[in-house]
Amino acid sequence: MNTFNFIQAAISHNLKDPHSKALEPDGLSPLLAIATQSSGARGLIFLFVLLTFVLFHVSVSYSASKTFKDEVGREVVVLFPPKKIVSLAPNITEILFSLGLDQEIVGVSIHCNFPEKVQSKVRVGSYISLDFEKIVSLKPDLIIATGAGNTRDMVERLERLGFPTYVIFPKNVEDVIRSVGHLSQLVGREKEGVEIIQEMKRRRERVVERTQGLPRPRVFLQIGEAPVVTVGKNSFADDLIRLAGGDNVAGNEKEMYPRFGMEEILKRSPEVILISSMNPGGNYQKALQEWSRWKTIPAVKNGRIHLIDSDLIDRPSPRIIEGLEEMARLLHPERFKR
Amino acid sequence: MTNDHCSLFNYSFMKILTLKKVLLISAFLGLILVLVTILSITMGSVKVEPHRSISILLQSILGLKGAGTETEKTIILSLRVPRVLLAGLVGAGLSVSGAIFQALLRNPLADPYILGVSSGAAVGAIVAILMGLGTLSFGLPLASFIGSLLTILIVFYFGRQEGKIHPNTLLLAGVIVSSSLSALIMFFLSISQREELRTIVFWLMGDFSLSNYQAIRLIFPYLLFAFLLLYAHARQFNLILSGEESALQLGVNVERLKLISYLGASLMTAASVSMCGLIGFVGLIVPHSVRLIFGPDHRLLLPASALVGASFLIASDTLGRTLFSPVELPVGVITAAFGGPFFIYLLRTRKVVKTL
Repeated sequence: MNTFNFIQAAISHNLKDPHSKALEPDGLSPLLAIATQSSGARGLIFLFVLLTFVLFHVSVSYSASKTFKDEVGREVVVLFPPKKIVSLAPNITEILFSLGLDQEIVGVSIHCNFPEKVQSKVRVGSYISLDFEKIVSLKPDLIIATGAGNTRDMVERLERLGFPTYVIFPKNVEDVIRSVGHLSQLVGREKEGVEIIQEMKRRRERVVERTQGLPRPRVFLQIGEAPVVTVGKNSFADDLIRLAGGDNVAGNEKEMYPRFGMEEILKRSPEVILISSMNPGGNYQKALQEWSRWKTIPAVKNGRIHLIDSDLIDRPSPRIIEGLEEMARLLHPERFKR
Repeated sequence: MTNDHCSLFNYSFMKILTLKKVLLISAFLGLILVLVTILSITMGSVKVEPHRSISILLQSILGLKGAGTETEKTIILSLRVPRVLLAGLVGAGLSVSGAIFQALLRNPLADPYILGVSSGAAVGAIVAILMGLGTLSFGLPLASFIGSLLTILIVFYFGRQEGKIHPNTLLLAGVIVSSSLSALIMFFLSISQREELRTIVFWLMGDFSLSNYQAIRLIFPYLLFAFLLLYAHARQFNLILSGEESALQLGVNVERLKLISYLGASLMTAASVSMCGLIGFVGLIVPHSVRLIFGPDHRLLLPASALVGASFLIASDTLGRTLFSPVELPVGVITAAFGGPFFIYLLRTRKVVKTL
């Protein structure tokens, strides 16, 4: 027990928060000791070195650091503007690239697949298992996490390792637009942010206007095959269906991704079935075949079963507007002729 | 299932054990543990030169400053070292409690989870995750620890007859409580959301990725206390394995011994499992392997199991985090993949087990 405490104390002694090192005298005192012992020119050189150290550190520690409140209410102190950013989720990566931060992004999650430029970035693990060593070795000055995938333990751990970690947690399309705004302020790209936000809002209004007053088809969005899983209240896709002028048949389920039995689907008789696929074209044919057995469903009878790219409808990035437009086209083809 | 004449516990094979032999073998296994530990600290998804890793480690132990950049120090001292230490503690804890359960139940299939401690821990952890307590640091370990303690008490309550512990009754009670809790786990899994589900599944597979010094500080006292308590009775465990009757005649307080072994081993399991989830296989194969190699005397079996278990789990976790980096494999995958075949090899090559 004693030995253990000893090791522990020794280790924690060496493990001060890297950000506080500028103001920590321990690292300098040996230099000072040597300087006062040595004589003449040597001592002067040491003092000079010491002085530059102090000045340098002072200038670093007083360079503009800003405090932000993140989307889960935590306070995050960020060196402004951040120069090395690690993104822990695909939607964050997309937002950052859209803000033009190609250089600043140094690490991304293994799930990040858009845009193409992401291929050259270092991978720092998945949502649930982060590669902390990689993150430490990248020395980021800002990490952006998502409340929808990363756990609080991870975020706390990253903060303890000395990395400011900002959490975004959008829950619908409006929130995504807000998150773009937050991130653009966080990284000092307000101008680009405003442009993206205006564009997103313009395209959203266009969809809403065009579908206004039209009859709203009952929509069943399938996100899992076995078991059949759909989207309930509070999911992104549910918000998209509503904005695109549809009526989600599972829109009153309070579970976010409820499991549906065939009886329930028959009873709610959807007029459009959308199949969200991870890899477009993959099991689409098989899913179509499955559905073709249920001729009483209006969507099956009228051939209104469509595939939709899951990255566009459940990833809260600027591209969610593309997902919205695609969905509106599928629900109201007569209003959106290409 | 109980077989008092099972060759694993047959003491006609037992050679005379001297203190010198215990110390020598322990020192040898301890040396292996130190080597495995150091090797594991030099390995990871980010390459830090082995000699630099070691000098960073030595300097921090000696309280010196110097070698290594801040980045390297953080990687070694706040990521790798706590992880390796926690894996070692958990490996030792599960192996020792496995050895004790095998002796207590006189059943070679016994492992730390056989009496439902793990299911109780899982229910506690899942309830914490579903209630959002998982977001509090130490909400989850605490809940899982409470879950296993409750299970230990329930099994103990139903596992006794006329105030005495009967291995078979205890085993049955444990298995039944465990299956009921499994039903509860299934229920929770079926109603949980996508994000929670991932957290739960990861916990059920065992995970060291969030290890820190606080976790080690929290479980170390429990493990140490339970180990010392059990080790103090090592000689009596030897006697009880030759039959309760004869142990009684030799002056062993059999009921008290069974109580101590049950509570001590359960406590050890509960503490281990609470920090890192359910890691399988270690508690079954390590004590058996040690028994096959060094013999069944508990005075050697307990410390040797602790040291071998620690080395085994540290090595497994290191493989898990390096094989497919940046993605980590759950450590349970590795323990099963490497432990199983090795155990079969031992079974085939060692004469002792021919009658198993």
